[in-house]
Amino acid sequence: MTSTRTVTRLSRILALIPYVLDRQAVDVNEIIDRFGYTKVQLTRDLNTIFVCGLPGYGPGDLMEAYMDEDEVIIDAADFFTKAPRLTPVEALGLLAAGMTVIGSGEGSPALESAVRKLSKVVMPDADTSLAVDVLDQSQNVGVLRDAASEGRVVHMVYRSVGKEETTEREVEPWSVFATLGRWYVLGHCRLVDDRRTFRVDRIKELELLEETFERPESVPQPGVGYSPSKDDVTCVLDLAPVARWVLEYYPVEVIRESSQSTRIRFHSPDAEVPARLLLRLGTDARLVEGSEVAVRTHEIGRSLLSKYL
Amino acid sequence: MRPTSNVNAMQNVVERVLNLLIYLLESPHPVTSNDVRHTVHGYADQSDEAFHRMFERDKSVLRRLGVPLKMEALDAWEIDEGYTVDPDEYAIPDPGLNQEERLALSVAARMVRLGGTEAGVGAIIKLGGMERGDGVEPLGADLGEGAEVLGELFGAISDRRKVEFSYRGHPRPVEPYGIAHRRGHWYLVGNTPDGERIYRVDRIEGLAVGEKAGVFEKPKGFDVKNAVDNQPWETGSDPVVGTEVKFDAEVAWWAARSLGLAEPKSELTTTVDVANRDAFVGWVLSFGTSAEVLGPPEMREAIATRVGEALVRLP
Repeated sequence: MTSTRTVTRLSRILALIPYVLDRQAVDVNEIIDRFGYTKVQLTRDLNTIFVCGLPGYGPGDLMEAYMDEDEVIIDAADFFTKAPRLTPVEALGLLAAGMTVIGSGEGSPALESAVRKLSKVVMPDADTSLAVDVLDQSQNVGVLRDAASEGRVVHMVYRSVGKEETTEREVEPWSVFATLGRWYVLGHCRLVDDRRTFRVDRIKELELLEETFERPESVPQPGVGYSPSKDDVTCVLDLAPVARWVLEYYPVEVIRESSQSTRIRFHSPDAEVPARLLLRLGTDARLVEGSEVAVRTHEIGRSLLSKYL
Repeated sequence: MRPTSNVNAMQNVVERVLNLLIYLLESPHPVTSNDVRHTVHGYADQSDEAFHRMFERDKSVLRRLGVPLKMEALDAWEIDEGYTVDPDEYAIPDPGLNQEERLALSVAARMVRLGGTEAGVGAIIKLGGMERGDGVEPLGADLGEGAEVLGELFGAISDRRKVEFSYRGHPRPVEPYGIAHRRGHWYLVGNTPDGERIYRVDRIEGLAVGEKAGVFEKPKGFDVKNAVDNQPWETGSDPVVGTEVKFDAEVAWWAARSLGLAEPKSELTTTVDVANRDAFVGWVLSFGTSAEVLGPPEMREAIATRVGEALVRLP
């Protein structure tokens, strides 16, 4: 199997040639920027184009490609006046990218018309055959995006996920991202004086402050994970196969698994979240270890039963 | 293998594929693999076996590039077939984007990831390269893995080709109507011998796409947005029950967001249509004591039963 890198390189060459042919000569820096080249890569690809052409492969058969001062020149390549059509993966990728941004509420009329025009040529009924929902029902994403790109501090009222409590804090937002269908914001939290990731839908109130901050030179890759601390509550659960979705929604450690049951270790800042999880799972889970969680589950369970019975 | 020979091998493939593609685009007639072998630079001096291996690999590279490589009869008797690429079919159709639209798409392409890479950049490059905006773009979204399977499904949906795959160990023949990314997962909606069905794309195994295009019609008025439900309790076989539920002020705003309702000032009491009782009971219990089902009685019973079951199982 030929590597993806080879295919990517060829794809860029086949896009570069028609672009330059159409304009005869193009500024080197524009090409580097537009096609994501380094100068070394561009030189190598031009040299490659230069040795390929029509059978016979004599001087009159090969394409011309070279750099002249600050310009890229390509000629004698009439068979490559157009780039190859998009593959389904490429077409899907670009349409989905556009739809994601529109769905987040951060689209623009230009993006909407671009997606419409693109659909027309790759999948005329895309608006009913393809849907990408990474919805932001909180309408906080736009404010956070502005705050992060302008380097402005935000004040938020936040309902934490791990610990069911509401807090107020000031945050320096670095990036806003969606994964597994949810929006998060990553930044420096002044309340704990450390880096934190917040779920955007759990931000009850959000205010953009005038105060600015210095964005760190390199922002860590956004990611969702839970970093256990020594104050954590830990418990061990056995999950029935139908409860395996828990693995996708909570940061858990799988201890062992079989077709009948999955044993996991669950870390959380307090006993509330695993207790609620046990109640909702009913017969699909069993608590194996974790006395604190057992106590909390009893408390919530009894309090619920007193309402319902 | 030493790195230099890797680089050389890649260089050879790139040159050979370019020459092959030029030959195919310029030949007025379909060409045989033998023609290719004796005409295109890079194939000479190979054993039969080595040539066939190289040629198979290069054809697959062409397909992965989006080149419409076809087999056609060489003569009226249709005994021999040759390869051909129609230049009109090869050329990317021009969507006619203006500068502003190109910039908007370029920015979006770099923000969204699919299958571990920037989702739309390959497409933007073919459409004439990226337009650069100013400043930092802090926004990003990850649409998960499985780009190859999704691409194949997307192609099958556009061409109206049937697909077949294994789902939870069962073979499924499907006429694919649409795909949707919702609640963090990709879903396929299509027609099966048992009617319209929904599949999680990450659970699809051994996908095969049919040879023939245009073999089914999508029903009029089909919209994948309506076919895949928003909430887990909307998908189910229970008789639909309007269930009244109350959320405390502390969590009411968040419940309202999850339900797509306007945010209330304090507590929230609302009625939700439930078609999957299990899923709804689970969701209400995730609020602990901050949510209460007010009615009907059988839904209150369902909650109490679930809690009772959990409590007896505690150590």
